Amino acid sequence: MYDFLIIGAGVTGTNIARMLSKYQLKTLVLDKESDIGNGATLANSAIVHSGHDPKEDTLKAKLCVRGNALYHELEKNLQVPLLHNGAYLVASDEESEAQLDTLFNRAKYNGVHVEFVPLEVAFKEEPNLARDTTRVLSMPSTKITYPWEVALACMENAVANGAQYKGDQTVNRIDKTEQGFTVSTEEGDVYQTRYLINAAGVYAQKIAEMVESQAPYKVNPRKGEYYVLDRRVKGFVKKTIYPVPSVRGKGVLLVPQIHGNILVGPNAEEQPHLDDYSNSPEGLRWVRNEATRLVQNIPFDQVIRTFSGIRPSIDRYDFYIEESTEAEGFFHVAGIDSPGLTAAPAIAEYLEEILKGKMRLVKNERFDPTRKKQILFNEMTKKQKDQAFQDDRRHGQLICKCEKVTEADIVAAIHAPIPATSIKAIKKRVRAGAGLCQGGYCEHQVLKLLSRELNIPLTEVNYYQPGTPLVKEETKVKL
Amino acid sequence: MKTYDIIIVGGGAAGVAALHSAYEDGLKIALIEREKTLGGILKQCIHNGFGVHHYKEELTGPEYAQRGIEAIAGYDIDVYTHSTVTDIRKKKAFTLTLMNQDEGEFQLTATAVIMSTGCYERTRGQIQIPGERPAGIMPAGSAQRYLNIDGYLVGKKVFILGSGDIGLIMARRMRLEGAEVLGVAELMPYSNGLTRNIVQCLHDFDIPLFLSHTITNIKGKKRLEQITISQVDERFVPIAGTEKHFDVDTLLLSVGLVPDIKMFDSLNMDISPLTKGAVVDQYFQTSVEGLFACGNSLHVHDLVDFVTQESEQAGAYAKAYVKHGSLRQKKLTSVMPGDRVRYVLPQKLDLTGDQESWRFALRATENAQQGIFRVFQGDHLILEKKARFIAPAEMEHLEVRKDLLVSNEPLKVSLEVIA
Repeated sequence: MYDFLIIGAGVTGTNIARMLSKYQLKTLVLDKESDIGNGATLANSAIVHSGHDPKEDTLKAKLCVRGNALYHELEKNLQVPLLHNGAYLVASDEESEAQLDTLFNRAKYNGVHVEFVPLEVAFKEEPNLARDTTRVLSMPSTKITYPWEVALACMENAVANGAQYKGDQTVNRIDKTEQGFTVSTEEGDVYQTRYLINAAGVYAQKIAEMVESQAPYKVNPRKGEYYVLDRRVKGFVKKTIYPVPSVRGKGVLLVPQIHGNILVGPNAEEQPHLDDYSNSPEGLRWVRNEATRLVQNIPFDQVIRTFSGIRPSIDRYDFYIEESTEAEGFFHVAGIDSPGLTAAPAIAEYLEEILKGKMRLVKNERFDPTRKKQILFNEMTKKQKDQAFQDDRRHGQLICKCEKVTEADIVAAIHAPIPATSIKAIKKRVRAGAGLCQGGYCEHQVLKLLSRELNIPLTEVNYYQPGTPLVKEETKVKL
Repeated sequence: MKTYDIIIVGGGAAGVAALHSAYEDGLKIALIEREKTLGGILKQCIHNGFGVHHYKEELTGPEYAQRGIEAIAGYDIDVYTHSTVTDIRKKKAFTLTLMNQDEGEFQLTATAVIMSTGCYERTRGQIQIPGERPAGIMPAGSAQRYLNIDGYLVGKKVFILGSGDIGLIMARRMRLEGAEVLGVAELMPYSNGLTRNIVQCLHDFDIPLFLSHTITNIKGKKRLEQITISQVDERFVPIAGTEKHFDVDTLLLSVGLVPDIKMFDSLNMDISPLTKGAVVDQYFQTSVEGLFACGNSLHVHDLVDFVTQESEQAGAYAKAYVKHGSLRQKKLTSVMPGDRVRYVLPQKLDLTGDQESWRFALRATENAQQGIFRVFQGDHLILEKKARFIAPAEMEHLEVRKDLLVSNEPLKVSLEVIA
C-alpha cells in the first residue's frame, strides 16, 4: 500500500515526488513511457519565464514568479543547468508597443523586475534584432534550463530519498476503495494507494474520467512546432527573444539552449489528438515567417532537426490544482501548459500546502535535498579528464564525435539510478546523437553498448519505446 | 607532446592515398583513424564497380581499400587507430587534440595537416521532412553499415527517399536480403545517382523510381507504418491530389552527403557554401596555410578513383609545403561557377605557381545529352570543351592550361546545353 501514487513522471510529477520525499511517505511514480519526461517536458521552449506574461492574480502568475525563484534552489541542490541569459520582449509598431506597456504593468503587478532599454543598447546586445524593432522590454530574470534534466534530477533525488519510479505502466483503470484507490495498468500490474495525484499532462482528463463521473476540465492539446539550429550558431542571439504575445500563446521565440543550439518556435495549433507529434510544412513555414519578423538573417541552413511538443492545455486559462470534489484523496494537477516548466517546483510547494491542510506530514529526517549530476567527460577540466580516464579507460573512447561523448559516459547513463535503456534515453542524458549528424555516426555504437550492458540481443534494443527496435533481424548465420 | 611534419586526419581512401604520395624517408608522418582499421566507408561498400579508372579493373569497396592499404604497408609512420580528433588549433604549427583508450585525451603537433575526414549523410531534420517521428527512418548509409558490417537487416518493407548512389545500392541490397523495396522517390526531375546504378539497382529489380516526388507525410506512433509521397511542381512545391501511400516499416534517406569538417571549426577556414567543404587552391590547400583538404571532406565524389587521384596530389603538395615552405602568393585568382555549373574546384588559383595546367573538377546543375563547357576570364572565352552525357550526379573534369590565361581576372566556368 502506497501513501501516494503519482501518475506522470514529467516535470510536474517528479517535482511533486521530490516534495513528498521530504516526508515519511511511501511514494510511487508511474509513467506510461519507457523513460521519464517524455511528454511536454521533453518538447518545449526550455524557458524559465520571469512571470511577466500570466494574467494578474492567477495561479499561473503566482507560481511562475515563485517557480522562477525556486530554480535557484534546483540549480544549487540538484545541479540543474541554468543559463542566466535574460530576455527581450520586442515591439515593432504602435499596437505592439501598446502591448509592451500592458505587459510592463502586468510584470510590475506580478512582482517581476522588467525595464525598457534604449534601442541602441538593445541592438548592441542583440545585433540581429529586426531593423524595424521600435521598443524593447528587458526581462533579466528569464532563464534557460534543460527541462528534461529537471525531471531527471527531481526523480533521482526523490528516489534517493525513498520514492519509487516505474516506467512502461499505462494506467487503464482506477477503483475507489475504502482506504484509497486501486490503480491497474495495461501491463497487468495493480497498485494500492491511499492518495492519488493526477499529473498525467495531456492524459489528465482520461485519468480523471477513470475516477470521476465527469472530469472537471477538458484537455485541449495544443501543438507547437520548432526548428533546432546547430550549436555552430551559438551567440546568434544571446537572450531569449519574445514577440508580444497573442491570444494563442507567447508567439514564436528565439531561444538559446543550454547546449549551444538555438530553438525557433513554437506555433500553437489546437488538435484533437493527444499523441500526434507530427510536423507540418504549413506549421513550420509559419514559424519561420514569424521568427523572421523578430530577428533578421536567421541561419535556417543550420537546422539540424525539427520537432513538436504538445501543450496539455485545458478549457480554462489557469492551472487546475485541486482535490477532486467527487473522490477524496484524488488530486488534480492539470492544465500545466506554459509557464508550467517554470512553475513546476512552485506547483509542488503549492500542493504541499494543500496536503498540510488535510493531513499530518511527518518529516523524513534523512531527506537529502542534493543530487550529484553525471558529469560528462566533455564538461570536465583537464585535470578531471585525466583522473576520469585513469579511473575508467573507456573515457578514452569517443562514441559521439559531434557532442564529444565517451563510452564511459554512455555506460554510466545505462547504469544510473534512473537507467537509460534505449537509444533516445541515451541521447537525452548524454547527448550522443543530438548533434550535427543526428546519430549517423554513433547510433550503431550506442546500440551495441546498450546490447552489451543490458545483456540483450541487438534486435531487442529499442529506439525509445517497447516495440521500436532499430534492427529487425540477423541476416548472417553464425559459424 | 609528439611532433610531426604531417598529420593526416582520416584513414579512408583519401587519407591513405594522401599518405602514399606524402611519404618520404625522413619525414615524420602520423595517420589518425577513428575506427579500428583503415579503409573508411569503403569497408561497408561490398558491391563492385570501384577502381575502373584508377586500377583499370572492377573491385569491391573493401578490395579497393585493401589496395591502398597494401601500398602503404611498411611505411615508417605512426598510425593511431581507434583515435578521434576532437579539436585543432593553429599558432605557428598545428596542435591537434585526440582521444583514445591508450592515452586518454592528448595532443600532437604538426607543420602540415591533411584533412581526409570524409562526409556524413544529410538527415531528416536537415531537409525537414514533415510527419511523425517513429523508429524506422534512417540514412541509407547507416542501414548499409548495419547490413554489411554488423549483419542485421533494419526492416522488411522499405521505401527510399533520394536517388543518391547509396540509396540505389541499398535498394538492391535490401531486396537481395529478402526485404520488399516499394520504391525510390527523387525530388529532382532526374536521378542523383550514377546511371549504371539506376539500371543495375532499380531497373533490374523492377523497383519504381518516382522522379519529381517528395515525401509529404509520415505516419507511425512507434515503428514507421506509412509514408505518403507527392509529385512536386517546378518550384518543388507538392501538387495536391498526387499523393501515393506506401505501407512500409522502413524509410531510408539518401538525400545528400556533407563534408564532415566540424572538428576543424576552430581554425576558421573559408568554407564554400556550394560544396560545404573548404575553399582550396590548386595545391588543395585551404585558406589556412598548411592545412590541406581532399576526398569527400573537400567535396563529395561519385567515384572513389577521383578521390584517390586528388588525394595523392594533396599529399604531394603537403610534402612540398613541409620541405620548401609556403606554396603560394598572397594574391589568388578566383574560379567561379557560371550558368548551369553548381561548383568548380579549386576555387582559388595561384597564377605564379610553376604548374603548366590545372585540373578543374566541377558539377553541372542539369542533365544534357550533349553540352559545351566554357571557361571565361573576364569577358574572354579561353577554353571550350564538348562533353556528352552530362549529369549532376557525375563529376566532370577540365584541363586548363596556364598559357590560355589572358589576365589576373577571375575565371568562370559555364555549361551550354546542346541536346
